[in-house]
Amino acid sequence: MILTGPEITAAAHDGRLTITPFEPAQVNPNSYNVRLGPTLVTYTSPVIDPHQPNPTQTVEIGPGGYVLQPGELYLGHTLERVGSDTFVPLLFGRSSVGRLGLFVEITAPIGDIGFHGQWTLMLSPIRPLRVYAGMKIGQIMFFVATGTVAPYRGKYQAATGPRPSCYWQDVARTSAVAS
Amino acid sequence: MILTGSAIAAAIQTGEITIDPFDPARLSPNAYDWRLGDTLRTCDGHLDAATPTTFTETGIPAAGTLLEPGLLYLGITHERTGSDTYAQLLNGDRTIGSLGIWVHVSAPLGHQGHAIRWTLEIQVAKPVRVYPGMTFGKLIFLTASGTPANYQQPQAKYATDGIDISRLYEEIEGPSL
Repeated sequence: MILTGPEITAAAHDGRLTITPFEPAQVNPNSYNVRLGPTLVTYTSPVIDPHQPNPTQTVEIGPGGYVLQPGELYLGHTLERVGSDTFVPLLFGRSSVGRLGLFVEITAPIGDIGFHGQWTLMLSPIRPLRVYAGMKIGQIMFFVATGTVAPYRGKYQAATGPRPSCYWQDVARTSAVAS
Repeated sequence: MILTGSAIAAAIQTGEITIDPFDPARLSPNAYDWRLGDTLRTCDGHLDAATPTTFTETGIPAAGTLLEPGLLYLGITHERTGSDTYAQLLNGDRTIGSLGIWVHVSAPLGHQGHAIRWTLEIQVAKPVRVYPGMTFGKLIFLTASGTPANYQQPQAKYATDGIDISRLYEEIEGPSL
């Protein structure tokens, strides 16, 4: 089951989910509109290697916005800290943003129960596109889960700002066990 | 919970779900198999979230239209769908995906109370031809938990029957900020 907007608001108030800051005007009938944070991260090496920490550079979106280029991957973040110990969150772009040819996440809309933090966005435009910090860019919806809950204790917990892939941490752990 | 095909058919009968036109043969085990409409908008310029998008609009002839990589296309569903009771999720299907067509990946949610023909954002991995009325994707229906709100009440931002460009510019003051 997907939560209705009034239920999202009720759950934000009684603690079953957290959205910080919470703005009632951003509640939709079945979702909450999240805003684009000011920081973007791009990978700087010609090849991305999941087995290594990849070098990145950081850009702050200025008051005039920032132009995203096709063929580049930008890691952005939600302004809001979002999480729930009860519901499963799913994040997608807003239709207004999809219609501008911008992918807001890539292949991974499903969050974990128990993750709390700013969500990393995987921004990839079809055409050059100017974006603005603070624009409402995505929608988070919440689903009722069935079964006992083992909450998220993963490597992205309590994220602030865009977080590049940390796959290499899992590789290091696996090889330590193997040796 | 996701409605099965027979539950979708039952909800059509009671009026809880609208699919127009509705073809019972398009019900699949847990979805409705929707079709591509006959109009496309092509966006080949530089876009700005604070500015209305420029585009050219063309019909899709019976012989099909060739889509090219690197361009943004806005299409529309053949069907108008909606429900005040259930939320909807719209996606492409595996047949379309395996042609290298991304359709509506970014914003699949149809809110309760949202009854429209869906504007589709489309890009392609390789040049590929599309035809009007072809089966393009799946629409699923989800039960909701909590008191319903109605999309039409607070805002009817996209409630037309044609392709809609983004209206995000209405929310952003633009580079002069």
